[in-house]
Amino acid sequence: MTQPASKSYRRFEEEKVQAEFVRNKLKLRSLEAKQSLFGKYPHVEKFFADRNLDLSKIREHSAKIITAGALTGSLLFTPPLLAVKVPALANIVKSLSDFEVKPPETSPQETILSSFMQILPQKVGPLDRTQEKTLEQVFKENIGINAKATLEGEHLNSTYGYIGAEQHLARFPGDNVYDMAPGLGAWGYVPADNEKWYAVVQTLYLPDWNSRQPFLQNWYKYRKVLIVNTMNGNAIVADIADAGPAAWTGKQFGGSPEVMDYLGGPRYKKGPVIMFFVDDPNNQVPLGPVDYNKVDASGLTLVQT
Amino acid sequence: MSKLFFDHLIVFEEIERKIKKTASSKEEREELWGLIDEVTTHKVLEKVLDKLPRAHHEEFLELFHKCPHDEITIFAYLKDKAGKSIEDDLKRDLKNLEKDLLKLFG
Repeated sequence: MTQPASKSYRRFEEEKVQAEFVRNKLKLRSLEAKQSLFGKYPHVEKFFADRNLDLSKIREHSAKIITAGALTGSLLFTPPLLAVKVPALANIVKSLSDFEVKPPETSPQETILSSFMQILPQKVGPLDRTQEKTLEQVFKENIGINAKATLEGEHLNSTYGYIGAEQHLARFPGDNVYDMAPGLGAWGYVPADNEKWYAVVQTLYLPDWNSRQPFLQNWYKYRKVLIVNTMNGNAIVADIADAGPAAWTGKQFGGSPEVMDYLGGPRYKKGPVIMFFVDDPNNQVPLGPVDYNKVDASGLTLVQT
Repeated sequence: MSKLFFDHLIVFEEIERKIKKTASSKEEREELWGLIDEVTTHKVLEKVLDKLPRAHHEEFLELFHKCPHDEITIFAYLKDKAGKSIEDDLKRDLKNLEKDLLKLFG
């Protein structure tokens, strides 16, 4: 279904005016918020000025601190009880795949869910490197996909967070299907092969996003990720086609309608997932659902549904 | 990961929908997201300081600077110094802020 060109153009013009209008009002509101805070509490302005930190850039500052903490292995977010267990995490994979403790009838999906219970923190949030490494092994052994939290030195803004439902992205000018996003993807029109199983990640909050361009733009473009629903173990390989969602939505990732449908069914709008990069230098891992109950544990066979 | 200690109190889904409908490019969308973020951060800080005795402001700011993401540490500190949990109050303030910001979209 397409619209007449004149109607589309009029709509485009109206939207442009509306966007400009909203942007100006938001800028004004932002200025008012700053004046209100610093007017009432001038010592706050001085505090941040003394540290050469712009409060508007506090998310970048936070990202740097979290990244540094994760690299040094400090368990900033982990409840103390779990922190005590962490040294034993490396043994989890071994014990999970050990015949003596894993009855033969245990499916890989059950094994994955059981390992989530042991590895993941109680609240959805950042993982440290030990937890991520353990999950990499669990995924390789049970799902059969070589997925990495850090690939070629790059790490997502989040690896354990909430995914939310996104709309379809335009594949070409005039594309108009049901549930279509009004704007384009992060890299413009999305090739049809990439659109069906696409993911959205918060590249905009990466601490070095602005300073490492255009390298990061190219690196993330249609990069494959493994998404695993931590509630039911459903796994899918998707490619990154857009940036977002905003930090204040309570979500860290997005998924195309097809991705969300596979992860949790037609009514699934938001839920906790793990998202890692797929290490696929020869482009052999196809996009789409991973039916890993039919995958051998050595990771040699990949069955695509 | 970028996280602020009050993120779990904010779910501006309606604003997110409005921005998606309004912005026609990634750049435009991210600019609007950033502006919402700026307003929210400044407002939250103001509301927190309103509830905290002046004598503890610098200490709180040091804590916020040191671990802006750590909701457990920061809210525990605020509860201790303000004499009560301020999370519910903050949640209410943020709900009002969301209503206020939604009006900007007409």
